[in-house]
Amino acid sequence: MTGNLVILPLLLPMATALALLLIGRSRFWRRWLTGVSALAQLAVALGFIGATYQRPPLVLAVGGWAAPFGITLVIDLLTAIMLSLAAFTALAVTVFGFAETPVRRIHPLRGPLVQFLVTGINLSFCTADLFNLFVGFEVMLIASYGLLTLEADDWDIRQAFPYLAINLFGSTLFLVGAGFAYSIFGSLNFAQIAQLGPSLAGDPRVTVLGLLFLLVFGIKSGLFPLYYWLPNSYPILPTPVAALYAGMLTKVGVYVLIRVFGQVLPPDLTLVHQCLAWMAGITMILAVLGAVSRNYIRGILSFHILSQIGYMAMAVGFYTEYAFTAAIFYIIHHIIVKASLFLVGGTVGALNDTDDLDHTGGLWKATPMLGVVFLLQALSLAGIPPLSGFWGKYMIILEGARLGEWVLVGCALLAGVLTLFSMLKIWLAAFWRNADEVGATIDLDDRRWRGMTAVIATMTVVSLGIGLGAEWIIRLAAEASRQLLDRGAYIQTILGGGS
Amino acid sequence: MIWETSLLIGVLFAVASFLMLRASFVRILFGFLLLTHAANLFVLAMSGSPAGKEAPVLLKKGVAFVDPLPQALVLTAIVIGLGVAAYLVVLLYRIFLDQRTTNLRDLFDPDRRPPREDGRP
Repeated sequence: MTGNLVILPLLLPMATALALLLIGRSRFWRRWLTGVSALAQLAVALGFIGATYQRPPLVLAVGGWAAPFGITLVIDLLTAIMLSLAAFTALAVTVFGFAETPVRRIHPLRGPLVQFLVTGINLSFCTADLFNLFVGFEVMLIASYGLLTLEADDWDIRQAFPYLAINLFGSTLFLVGAGFAYSIFGSLNFAQIAQLGPSLAGDPRVTVLGLLFLLVFGIKSGLFPLYYWLPNSYPILPTPVAALYAGMLTKVGVYVLIRVFGQVLPPDLTLVHQCLAWMAGITMILAVLGAVSRNYIRGILSFHILSQIGYMAMAVGFYTEYAFTAAIFYIIHHIIVKASLFLVGGTVGALNDTDDLDHTGGLWKATPMLGVVFLLQALSLAGIPPLSGFWGKYMIILEGARLGEWVLVGCALLAGVLTLFSMLKIWLAAFWRNADEVGATIDLDDRRWRGMTAVIATMTVVSLGIGLGAEWIIRLAAEASRQLLDRGAYIQTILGGGS
Repeated sequence: MIWETSLLIGVLFAVASFLMLRASFVRILFGFLLLTHAANLFVLAMSGSPAGKEAPVLLKKGVAFVDPLPQALVLTAIVIGLGVAAYLVVLLYRIFLDQRTTNLRDLFDPDRRPPREDGRP
C-alpha cells in the first residue's frame, strides 16, 4: 500500500498546476492553493526521508506492470533527499514571490508553470528507467523554456535562444543514448542494466555509452565546455524563478550523474570517471574566473553555480563511497545557499533599483539584517568553517588528497579562494561602501524588502543548521550513498528474487 | 536494410550538424528538425532488421516479431519533438520581430544596444 504513495510527488504539483489553471483570477485562492500545496509537498518529501532511512527503497510498478516491463517509480533515500530539497526551494521561492510582487503583477501562468517544472524535476528523481528519465527531463525543460520567455522583455529574450538550442541538442543526444543503451542491454530499466553490467565488463560499447551520457548530463549540469548557455540566460528570469533554476535545474543534472554512473552503468568505466573529474576541475577554475569578470550580482552568482557544480561532479568522478557521500552533502548545502543568494541579489535589486555593482551601495547601514544573511551565505559558499560549505569542500578535497589527485585538489582550493574574492566584491560594492559615493539610491519606503529578507533569513537559518549539525546530515548522506552503491539490494528490491 | 538505415542516419546527423553550425538561426532551426529525425530513426533502428519478421499484431506460431518497444519510444519522442519544434519556431519568430535580424553574430554582438530606451525596435 505504501508503494502507491510514491506517485504523490508527481501528483501533487501536477494537480496544483491544473487547479491553478482552472481556478481563474481569484488572487486569494491562487495564493492559498499554491502555499498549501508547497507545504504539503515538503511534508510528503520529508516523510519519504523517514520512510527510506535504513530501509529498502519504495517501489511502485505503475499500472501493475512489474519491472522490467512496465514503468517503475522508485524512491530511495537519495531520491527522498532530493525531493525534499526541491520542495523546500519551491516553497521558499513561492513565498518570496508573494513578498516581492503584488499578485496582480505576477503573470498568471507563472504559478502553473513552476508547478509543472517541479513535476518534471520530481519525475526525474523518482524514475527508474532511462526513457522515463528522458521524459522527465523534457517535462522539466519545456516548463523551463516557458518560464524563461514568459516575463522576458524584447531585448533580453534573445538570451533564451542559446539556452533552448543547447538543451534541445542535449535532449536529442539523450534520446540517442537511450536507444544505444537499449541495443546494448536490451532493457532501459536501471536495475536490469545494473544486473547485466558485470557480464559486459570491458565491452568498448559500454565505454562509448558512458562518454555519450557524460556529454548529455554534462550539458544538463553545465560542465566545461558545455556551459555557455547558463550564465547569460539565468539573469533574465524574474528573481524567484531564477532562484529556483539556480537551486534545482543544474542539480538535477548532478543527481543524474550520481544515479547513472554510481548505480546503473558498470563501475569499471575508469576512463569516463577520469574525464568527468578533469572536466569538473576545469569547470571550477574557468567558471570562477567568469564570476570575477562579471559586474552585476546575478551574473556573478550564475557563474558561481557552474564553479560549484565542478565540486560535485569532481566527487562523482572520484567514484568512491566517501566521495559520493561528499557529493550528496554538497548538493544539500549548495541548493539552499545558492537559491538564497539569488534571492539576496533580487532584494538588493529591489532596494537599490539595480543589481549593477557600479550603482549599488549603502545597504549595510540601511538593512544590517540583509547584510548579515548575505555575509553568512557568501562565506558558506566560499567554504569558511563551520558554515555548511566548508564540510562538503573539506570531504571532497580530503578524498582527492587520499587518491593522490593533487592537480584537482589544487583546482578546488584555488576556486575556493577566487569564490571568496568575488563574493567580497559584491559585499564591498553593495553593502559596505556609502551610498553617496556612487550616488546610489536606497528605497526603504518600499515595504516589500521586509518580507523578502524574512524568507532569506529563514533559508539562512536552515543552512546554518546544516553547517552546525553537519554530523547528522553527513550520516544521512552516507546512508544515501551506501544505498546507492549497494547494487545487489537495489536489483533485488526492484526485480524481485526470481530473476 | 540495416546498412541503408545506418547510412541514412549518418547522412542526417552530418547535414544536421552542418546546418546547426551556421550563423543564421533559420538554418539552425532546420538543423534541429533534421537532428530529431536522425535521433528518432536511430532509436527505431535499434529494433534490428525487420527482414523476415512480422508486426506483433496477430500471434502466429513460428514467426518472429519485430521488437515493438523502440517503436513505442519513438512515438513518444516524436510527440515531444513536435511540441518543442513548434515552441522553437514561435520563439525564433518573436526574436526576429523584436530584434530585426536572423543572424546570431549580429544578435550577440557585444556592441549591440537596445534600439530605443524602452527596448522596442
